[in-house]
Amino acid sequence: METNLIVEGFKFMGLGMGTVILFLVIMIVCMNIMSYVVHKFFPEPQVSLEPAVNTAQNKKIVAAITAAISHHRQG
Amino acid sequence: MKFFVIKLLTLMLLSFGALHASASAPASSEALSAHQEETYKTKPFSEMVGGFLKSTGINAFMNPDPNELNAHGEKMSDFYKSWGRLIMILLTFFLFWLAIKKGFEPLLLLPIAFGGLLANIPVANIAGAHGFLGVIYSMGLSNEMFPIIIFMGVGAMTDFGPLLSNPKTALLGGAAQFGIFGTLVGAVALTQLGFADFTLQQASAISIIGGADGPTSIFIATKLAPELLGAIAVASYSYMAMVPLIQPPIMKALTTEAERKIKMTTLRHVSRLEKLVFPVMVLTLAILVLPESTPLIGAFMFGNFLKESGVVERLNDTLQNSLINTVTIFLGLGVGSKLAADQFLVPDTMFIMALGVIAFSVGTASGVIMAKIMNMFPGHKVNPLIGSAGVSAVPMAARVSNKVGMEYDRSNMLLMHAMGPNVAGVIGSAVAAGVLISLFQ
Repeated sequence: METNLIVEGFKFMGLGMGTVILFLVIMIVCMNIMSYVVHKFFPEPQVSLEPAVNTAQNKKIVAAITAAISHHRQG
Repeated sequence: MKFFVIKLLTLMLLSFGALHASASAPASSEALSAHQEETYKTKPFSEMVGGFLKSTGINAFMNPDPNELNAHGEKMSDFYKSWGRLIMILLTFFLFWLAIKKGFEPLLLLPIAFGGLLANIPVANIAGAHGFLGVIYSMGLSNEMFPIIIFMGVGAMTDFGPLLSNPKTALLGGAAQFGIFGTLVGAVALTQLGFADFTLQQASAISIIGGADGPTSIFIATKLAPELLGAIAVASYSYMAMVPLIQPPIMKALTTEAERKIKMTTLRHVSRLEKLVFPVMVLTLAILVLPESTPLIGAFMFGNFLKESGVVERLNDTLQNSLINTVTIFLGLGVGSKLAADQFLVPDTMFIMALGVIAFSVGTASGVIMAKIMNMFPGHKVNPLIGSAGVSAVPMAARVSNKVGMEYDRSNMLLMHAMGPNVAGVIGSAVAAGVLISLFQ
């Protein structure tokens, strides 16, 4: 008896897509658990937000960024 | 004083050499002449010229040698030795043009095309078992080594941060793999209807073009259908380069203007530890669920782990630069060796090219549709434009999502959001590849 290849193709599709989606769903669940555990038990040491550079230089940087943004918006 | 010593030494050496030569000359010339007679017969000059003309490329193209064999040591028809080769050489020139002028994935297309040019040279048999292309092929392609090394480099270049900060976008990368399996059905349907003659292995190898991931395509093709490798690799890389042309019309057709303007919430900060645990976690899952996918996922996560560890900057740098570049050259040339006329100029190639574009389109469409389905559920809305990035093709597909998004709202930056499904697509294609391999064990 000749096998119907199209039926075979659909079988492959069912199994393949099923595995891919299942794998990614498990991965998403694990990622969420892992993030929760990491944030709960191993929080990153809070880096102080005080700028290390002097304020004069900081102002220059801010000015440059503002100029770049406005230039970009004008396009 | 110094000069004098040098002169004296030279003189001594010369005289010694001359003495030695005069002593041994008679004996050796006799031996030489006896040996010469055995191996070389004097011929008139006209005959020598005639013999040389017969060995030229022009003659080989016009009067193909009936005994010439292809790279596998099989007979091939005269067409493949004459016109076929000329057509292929012109085709490689076209590929040069695409790579250089149009900027189509030049890093791989140029070595592939040049390899193809070399593989179609008559007489020299560069792609044969003892030609250098043949040696490169057996060195790293027939044993699937090169794609694996490329995967390590790609892993070292990948940042899983965007995926980790919005895990559910991984589903988009999964949905886009529908392109692979949809094409698989298409390829076997062509066979069933009598247009083509693909085995299930060949159909699977072709369908993986929809994974939009060069190394995975090459890995699967060499494993399941090495005879189609040339066409599959060329289709895969040229369509990947055409992602900015193929995807936007599909993305626009499937979304409404309001959907395209959806703004996504800012990505949260991902800690270093999360990034470090992630590769090991995914590899563990792959080991448990689908060990067949671990060659690809293992290599990918190895590269990523080295990068995120932060303590082996030198190895990370080698993976990202020198190693991946070196292997890319070999991979390209090795794939090019499969562009020999007798293997490429077959009707199958045409079907592969057609199926490849279908694979990309179906993958794009299903990624976008998946995003729309996800928006039906409560939670943060997803801009459907990032769904198309699920086809892998890192980072081109993500850039396309960003570009299309900006067309409708200039302040809507989707690039980082699209990187999530983009890298998930790589994992998804590797899993799909593992499923296909496991089915043929």
